[in-house]
Amino acid sequence: MMSLYLYPVWLRLWHWMNALLFLTLIASGVSMHYAGADWLMPFATARVVHNTAGILLTIGWIGFVVANARSENARHYRIRFRTLIGDLIAQTRYYMIGIFRLEPHPFHVTEAMKFNALQQLSYLGVMYGLMPVLILSGWAFLYSVYLPETLFGLGSVWVVAMTHVVVSYLLALFLLVHIYIITTGETVFSNLLAMITGWHRETDEIPVKAPRETP
Amino acid sequence: MPTLAYRHPETGEIVDLSIDRDGLAHSVHGELACIDCHRRSYRRYPHPDRPAPGDLDCIGCHEDDDRNLSRGWVDIDAEFKRSVHAVSDSPKAAGFSCHSCHDPHRFRPAAVGEPIAQIVRNHNGVCLSCHGSLSAASSTSHRWLPNRDAHWGSVRCVDCHTPAADFANHEVLPAEKSEKNCVSCHSADPQLLARLYRFQSEEDIARHGLFAKAVFNEAYVVGMSKSPALDRLSLAIMGLMVLLLAAHGLGRYLARRANRMA
Repeated sequence: MMSLYLYPVWLRLWHWMNALLFLTLIASGVSMHYAGADWLMPFATARVVHNTAGILLTIGWIGFVVANARSENARHYRIRFRTLIGDLIAQTRYYMIGIFRLEPHPFHVTEAMKFNALQQLSYLGVMYGLMPVLILSGWAFLYSVYLPETLFGLGSVWVVAMTHVVVSYLLALFLLVHIYIITTGETVFSNLLAMITGWHRETDEIPVKAPRETP
Repeated sequence: MPTLAYRHPETGEIVDLSIDRDGLAHSVHGELACIDCHRRSYRRYPHPDRPAPGDLDCIGCHEDDDRNLSRGWVDIDAEFKRSVHAVSDSPKAAGFSCHSCHDPHRFRPAAVGEPIAQIVRNHNGVCLSCHGSLSAASSTSHRWLPNRDAHWGSVRCVDCHTPAADFANHEVLPAEKSEKNCVSCHSADPQLLARLYRFQSEEDIARHGLFAKAVFNEAYVVGMSKSPALDRLSLAIMGLMVLLLAAHGLGRYLARRANRMA
């Protein structure tokens, strides 16, 4: 049995708080966007819940960025450009073909790098691309009375709203894929357990089939 | 008209009867001569500074004139008689008439295609000419309403303060009976479309493209302003993704089972 402590307490706390906020924001956001249906949260409640969760998400995101920059966790986010293309091809081929042939995983988790190339790019895109756009557009919504009348010739609240909605859909799509991909570890639940305990574990017999998908 | 004034023979004070000539010219009554309306009160000289009560009766002229109106003038009269302006015991509401809100020398109804923000400003200006203290920065009125100032700049007072059922814009309700249900406006089929947004051109209302609503709608109302095409596309992509992931999971399960059995 090989064990690596890859998920420190701050990271796990942030991850599960973020997960809870994501679900809360989706439920309350859907309740406002599709308001009117009986099974949704009442609009007035959804508004308060969404704003509160959004503010907490912002604090959490800033906390993540700061902690990530100041801790060793940052090394997992540094792209290895020299091998990037080859790694991406190998990883994609594995998910499309290799995984069904029970081939060994092309990527091996180490203390120096816990993310495979696909995973690393998607987390970089989500945490440093989509999340800031989501958060900024959310705050722009909160303070929409102070926005200029128009932006790029369109009503600025429209631009903000469309950005917020599109990024929300993309992040919901990410969440779907994320929840599925974590089941492709050594066992269905091994990656989930790693994010709960902090320890990434692999049995020695099949070290090549290392788990991969963890935030 | 700007010089239409005289010294009152008894008090000696200047009685100013002048009106804003440009305002009248741009108003709905711009083509009328003064005497078309002021026939009775102004037969004698000096003219009284106010027309006799009931002298200027809108319905008297407009009873059969239902042009460009979603409601007939008789309906408007009936709505007004039910309104808080007509039934209130408050001394401030005494003598309330059409002219209390609609200055016949300036009034011009909103037209389809006019910018919504302009319509909101004009309509709310009428209410605020009496209720102005409500909109003062220190006012605690409407405190329950989230983003109060944004609402005040984007919807008309009457959109909440008149019954939702139809276009009864003149049946102004008391505060406690006014609309407080967010979803009446913030939903896919809101009353607001039938009220304020009926002033949008039919062309604008009918637009359904991916970004067409974004370009041609003038305001964003959470829950109402959506790009249906964008929503459908996004939900379809997510649905497809769920199917794809389920198929992938099934494939993995079958591959492992085949491996175990081999």
